[in-house]
Amino acid sequence: MSTTKTKIFRRTILLSGIALIAAAAMPGIRHAIAAPNSKNTIRAVMHADLRVLDPVWTTANITINHGAMIYDTLFGLDKDYVPQPQMVGEHKVSDDKLTHTFTLRDGLAFSDGSPVTTEDVVASLRRWGARNNAGKHMMQYVKDMPIVDAKTFQIVFSEPYGLVLNALAENGTVIMRKKEALTDPNQQITEYIGSGPFVFNQKETQLGHRYVYDRNPGYVPRKEPPSGTAGGKVVKVERVIFENMADEQTAMSALQAGEIDFMEMPPQDLLDVLRSDNNLNVEVLNKTGHMGWMRVNHLHPPFDNVYARQAMLYLIDQQEIMRAAFGSSDLWKKCGAYLACDTAMESDVNTDWLKGGQNIEKARELFKKAGYDGRPVVVLHATTHYLANPAALLTVQWLKQAGVNAELATSDWGTMLVRRNSKAAPTEGGWSIFFTAATGHSLSNPVTASGHATNGEAAWFGWPNDPKQEALREKWARTPTLEGQKAVAQEIQENAWNFVPHMYLGQFYRAAAWRKNVTGVIGVPEVVPFWNMEKK
Amino acid sequence: MHQPERRSNQRRSGANCGDMPKAHRSGTGSCVCTYLGQSRRLASSRAGSTRPMFAYVVRRLISTFVVMVLVGVFVFLLLHFSPGDPATLIAGDNADAEQIESIRKGLGLDQPLLVQFMNWSLRVLQGDFGISVFTQAPVINLIVERLEPTVSLAVTTLLFAALVAVAIGVVSAWKAGSWIDQVFMGGAIVGFSLPVFVVGYVLIYIFSMQLKWLPVQGYTPIAEGVLPWAKGLILPTIALGTSYVALIARITRASMLEILSQDYMRTARAKGVSARGMLIGHALRNAGVPIVTIIGIGFAMLISGVVITETVFNLPGVGRLVVDSIAKRDYPVIQGAIIIFSGVYVLINLLIDVLYTLIDPRIRY
Repeated sequence: MSTTKTKIFRRTILLSGIALIAAAAMPGIRHAIAAPNSKNTIRAVMHADLRVLDPVWTTANITINHGAMIYDTLFGLDKDYVPQPQMVGEHKVSDDKLTHTFTLRDGLAFSDGSPVTTEDVVASLRRWGARNNAGKHMMQYVKDMPIVDAKTFQIVFSEPYGLVLNALAENGTVIMRKKEALTDPNQQITEYIGSGPFVFNQKETQLGHRYVYDRNPGYVPRKEPPSGTAGGKVVKVERVIFENMADEQTAMSALQAGEIDFMEMPPQDLLDVLRSDNNLNVEVLNKTGHMGWMRVNHLHPPFDNVYARQAMLYLIDQQEIMRAAFGSSDLWKKCGAYLACDTAMESDVNTDWLKGGQNIEKARELFKKAGYDGRPVVVLHATTHYLANPAALLTVQWLKQAGVNAELATSDWGTMLVRRNSKAAPTEGGWSIFFTAATGHSLSNPVTASGHATNGEAAWFGWPNDPKQEALREKWARTPTLEGQKAVAQEIQENAWNFVPHMYLGQFYRAAAWRKNVTGVIGVPEVVPFWNMEKK
Repeated sequence: MHQPERRSNQRRSGANCGDMPKAHRSGTGSCVCTYLGQSRRLASSRAGSTRPMFAYVVRRLISTFVVMVLVGVFVFLLLHFSPGDPATLIAGDNADAEQIESIRKGLGLDQPLLVQFMNWSLRVLQGDFGISVFTQAPVINLIVERLEPTVSLAVTTLLFAALVAVAIGVVSAWKAGSWIDQVFMGGAIVGFSLPVFVVGYVLIYIFSMQLKWLPVQGYTPIAEGVLPWAKGLILPTIALGTSYVALIARITRASMLEILSQDYMRTARAKGVSARGMLIGHALRNAGVPIVTIIGIGFAMLISGVVITETVFNLPGVGRLVVDSIAKRDYPVIQGAIIIFSGVYVLINLLIDVLYTLIDPRIRY
């Protein structure tokens, strides 16, 4: 090869390399053209990556957060979890309690400029009613949803229904344009136009990396002060960016370095590090926290027997599990309330099993009474889950101490989610026990929380079957007053801890952390409101 | 790498120069010997050598396509036979079986595996990698959006590793047995042993948290300025490059030591060639093939290292896209990305094979 040719060949390679980088940089150039201004921008790391953008299509909390940014709801929950009008200006109930009339407040418009009409609202409610648990339950009682005019519509019930406003105040009960709301409930929407306080900036969003929300200049907030998801949603920054950081340690370092402003759920075991940083606030925003949750399989022995399920109440040491998962923190406590502690439905009825502490001997007796024959009890062990991992390890240890032939089935979280679908026998690909967590707020509603259903094979994973509990749930749904619901909640709990559909591992609270130059952070269950936040 | 063919009847290695009628230095500085009177014939045969090279490259490109098809089939089957279900993950933890089933149906995951495979294969053959089951965005768009950070990191890492490692390897070989050599090679062992994420966290702690010189995380596109782009890549490049520096440095040292002990090096020294001339012009050039080989092999490691580095430094690259997609069982994205990775890997190997001919003129295909 001649020298000249060699040089030409090298130059070709060099130019090819430059071209490669340039080609790869093209999408970046496109992004850079509209680079965001860092001032007046809040950069937040949320608890998970937002992947699904349709808040009706999934129950994932992160998508509900996304929904709260760009969509509005007819009602909102105030800081005491009481429904208050949000998009609705006026609400009337007929004397027979069967017809609810809603009139939309003035100034409502979608971010594309079109006004919000009752056609949009009713179409949205129908899609929500086909998919969401609260919606599906309410729709069983709905006879019709007539449109009176562009601003007024009605919901006509077949019998008085006690959860109308609670259902409409759910974070997932979002109002979309009719165009999107007519999408098949089994398909995702593909356009994200809401009438909420923020506009989803799809152009600058990079899926899987960052999600950009701009202040909605056309949004007219209510006049009342903000309280939960109720009151005026006044946006005081120009932009909010959800940064997806897979590594918690990196996110924490970025928060300390001031590269991000807000972290929804920093790792619990490193909170002391954040607390010692004078530039950061560390506070619990979700005051009802989360309940750690153990589900047992009612279809197969030993947990098809009530005594075996009662044995688990005595076997679990909530304090040990909470300590293993969250350390000696002040952010957890023991809780025996079937509808979660710190909620309006909290009760200590029938909780002697908790007050007496762990009693392995009692558990052993109950397993014997259940006729336990030594068959394997398969405990699903999701190593990638902060709570399910230690809970499984401790539970297997305690089961063995109680004479139960327990074994771990170890996997990642995603694999565990699939295996828990199986109704096969535990040793044939099924399972006996799995662990998860749910917010205290969601569990406080015995009707809409999937896990409270006890209608056998149609129920949530574990498939408990107790007609008495089902009747009590319906009774609660039809009870029109809060005081009445509290009374029914006690009946539910009394029965639940006899029948034992599932068990709890304790209640814990995930603190959020944010830079001190960010003010106006409001505490709300399940979503983080980015309205009212200011950055100085 | 492909086994190159050495045409010893046309050119002989410098090691045999002593037996040759004539030796001279080529324009690129290596010691090259030719038989007297054969120069014209060699020149004409070299001119014609572009044709076999072209044929070789075409053959390799065809084999690349075959490799990508096989990888595609393998990945599809592996993913669909492994536990996990995107519908379950999309539905969320509180969803019931009915909701999960309706999502599965909506995604077409309820269809027989063979039907899913045929549909997917037909689309891929038309260049359509499908859409993400989560975001509904075209897979190819998701991958293209993520290319810049990954290509940037790969290029800067290979450059950093090659430059630093070759320098360390050459100096270590030149000073073999000295304290400099021992320090460099000791450091190489440590560098090779440390996991990427440990190096990353340590670098973040020192340079971002304590000294506040560089950002903890994030990526600035090169279009927004070369300086911010480079600033964001310094720590990831060092974190990812450390193990390559160690690997390449050790190979460079070993190759250099072998070459430095050759007779023609003594000849060069006897001729009065300077130390720099000997090291760079003679020894390094002749030690180049194993060094380039190890850089090529290292590219496979680079792919796995990129995944971790992009996660630690929050770089929105293809590696992170794959990791996120695996966690969520986003099958079309995983399949698309791995097919493209495999293609790139085979092409890099091809590039390395072609580079052999530049480094060692004895090699022909």
